[in-house]
Amino acid sequence: MKKILALALALVMALSLAACGGGASSAPAASTPAASTPAASTPAESTPAAPAAPAGNDADAIDDNMTSADGQYQVAFITDVGQLKDKSFNQGTYDGVKLYAAANGLSYKYYQPANGDQATDDDRYDAMKAAVEGGAEVVVCAGFMQEAAMRRAAAEFPEVPFVFIDGYPLSDDAGNSLTNVAGISFKEEQAGYFAGYAVVKEGFTKLGFSGGGGGTNPACCRFGYGFVQGANAAAAEMGVNVDMNYSWEYGASFQASPDLQTMITGWYDQGTEVVFACGGSMFASISAAASATDGYVVGVDVDQSSQAEEGVVVTSAMKGLSDAVQWAVAKVYDGTFSEIGGTGTSLGVDDNAVGLPTATWSMTNYTVADYESLFAQVAGGSVKIDDNYENLEQDYSNLTLNIK
Amino acid sequence: MTFLIQQTLIFAVPLMIVALAGVFAERSGIINLALEGIMIFGAFVGVYFIRTVQQSGGFMAAKEANNWLALQGFMLLAMLVAAVLGAVFSLLLSFASVNLKADQTIGGTALNLMAPALVLFLVRILANQNTLQMAEGDAASWFMLRKTTFGLARNAEVGFLFDTFLNRVYLATYICLLLFVVLSVLLYKTRFGLRLRACGENPQAADSLGINVYKMRYAGTTISGALAGMGGFVYALTTANCTANGDVAGYGFLALAVMIFGNWKPLNIAGAAVLFGLCKCIAAAYSSIDINGDGVFMLAELGISAHLYRMLPYIITLLVLAFTSKKSRAPKAEGIPYDKGSR
Repeated sequence: MKKILALALALVMALSLAACGGGASSAPAASTPAASTPAASTPAESTPAAPAAPAGNDADAIDDNMTSADGQYQVAFITDVGQLKDKSFNQGTYDGVKLYAAANGLSYKYYQPANGDQATDDDRYDAMKAAVEGGAEVVVCAGFMQEAAMRRAAAEFPEVPFVFIDGYPLSDDAGNSLTNVAGISFKEEQAGYFAGYAVVKEGFTKLGFSGGGGGTNPACCRFGYGFVQGANAAAAEMGVNVDMNYSWEYGASFQASPDLQTMITGWYDQGTEVVFACGGSMFASISAAASATDGYVVGVDVDQSSQAEEGVVVTSAMKGLSDAVQWAVAKVYDGTFSEIGGTGTSLGVDDNAVGLPTATWSMTNYTVADYESLFAQVAGGSVKIDDNYENLEQDYSNLTLNIK
Repeated sequence: MTFLIQQTLIFAVPLMIVALAGVFAERSGIINLALEGIMIFGAFVGVYFIRTVQQSGGFMAAKEANNWLALQGFMLLAMLVAAVLGAVFSLLLSFASVNLKADQTIGGTALNLMAPALVLFLVRILANQNTLQMAEGDAASWFMLRKTTFGLARNAEVGFLFDTFLNRVYLATYICLLLFVVLSVLLYKTRFGLRLRACGENPQAADSLGINVYKMRYAGTTISGALAGMGGFVYALTTANCTANGDVAGYGFLALAVMIFGNWKPLNIAGAAVLFGLCKCIAAAYSSIDINGDGVFMLAELGISAHLYRMLPYIITLLVLAFTSKKSRAPKAEGIPYDKGSR
């Protein structure tokens, strides 16, 4: 009797595993085309002044995992903390890798450093080494936290070009510049400025900013400081006063969490109208809180309007991750990588690399035309945006900053 | 005040129902340390069920038509699936500890170690990342009850009671409260409950009166597994936006603490769970809590370090257990495999 029962239990376990495995193969295939079609049709209509970033949408149709015949992968991507499919920073960068590789018939692969959020420099280095040993002709690394690992890997494999997204030029221990590393950063303060300006012009006066990286991530700091400046500028023009909650709490690992959701629900409950969700997967917690309390959200990095219930995302502070990656990887393959290797490239309005999504515009009081004229002013230099986020805590003319 | 009550309930109810799950197992004589593991498994199963049904197009029409009754039914179905699979998962524990007479602490620990690994493994296969999410929309827009659900305008004036208990709440919370009451009555006022408790106090005596101790222990642990699995899904639904990532933030262990603090008695457990829920809520949202509605955020203005608020739930757990564990009275025969031969 016991043996029969043991056998039955073992069978139940085995079958339930098999059943789950069977569902896996069919589930993703069914979801991706349906999700991507509505978004894919829009970029063609985008106006010339708008950044070309929304083009990343049809990357959803390209499989994340590919198998090459020889087991070698030419374009490698090393993820930042947070998840690959964060619908934001990692995903936007990987979209660029996939789009370039698919368009040029190259093999591609992503490497997630071991130990998730607790990944050490050694874990990241191991991922880079695995990428190079897996046949990588170019390694795209996302996030400034890869610095130490990349310095080591780039010195060890001087013939492999590294693209350092959200990064800067590196030098080896002896102080020599590493010419195989191209640092690419963005003027996030400009994207943040556009978003802050837009939401205040739209009529919101109680804003929130919830950032990732615990206040140590330069990109998030620039986004936040730009958001504050934009909101203040718009408030000054309109003669209103704006309140802003500004917090790095529960964002250190860029993950969604119940605690973050509760904190943001508290903000909305106390009157905050719109929160700038500045940090990858944190968007899920913040949009859930917004959805529950009829609040609004500003997305980050890519156009996030399709990732929440309709109308919840007011706009997104975008940077052209996908385009920048394709541009840099193309330089590897057309032999002009030496132009950007060993230097830092900072992309902003002049390169059409930051902005708001005009194709999915939902604001009514603040129009696309208003935005385009502001875009031109920033590009022309008549609107100055400070990029030194050390100056965040100052007296603003029309904005009260509550740093939590 | 409304905010405080709602958030406290959201944190307290999963704790309460999982602590009751612990009571059912321990009252029948089996230590169920695997609560955490079963919660993780239940959360995964429930979220996976919702995701799969959404992907196959089920209930899309109901969502389009705002048919909230159908959507609540969908949620109940997911709770049921999580409960059933949680019960199946707990059979491993019952089999090891009843039939094989294995050490229950070790068995439970094994399940606790296995569940997150198994769930993470499956999530990576299914979703190609570390978190399993809903295929469409978010938890609030699909399953939350609010004014618009009842045909009222978004900014309609409703009374305090309606605003607190029917606006922006999940039906799952109330189902759990109802189950808590029903099962507590079952445990204390029915023949089945008396027999179950007898098996946890003195199984030899129960056996001598013709009660099948093995069956009773299987029943207790299976109910425990079902409740823990459901509690895990309710936790994922109400606090984590219907996502599963092989982690329930130690709620299973917190539930064990609540059970011990509550002295294995339902009413005390309910009180303990509310206390912990309140602390959790204060920890996450102390700066937005306006207790009497006068616009003064007392907790934030006390000038106490934020870290202290964050630690509050765990400090309270330590303090409370330190002061109450002397009085706590566990079921006498819990943890001892029942052997018919030894009297």
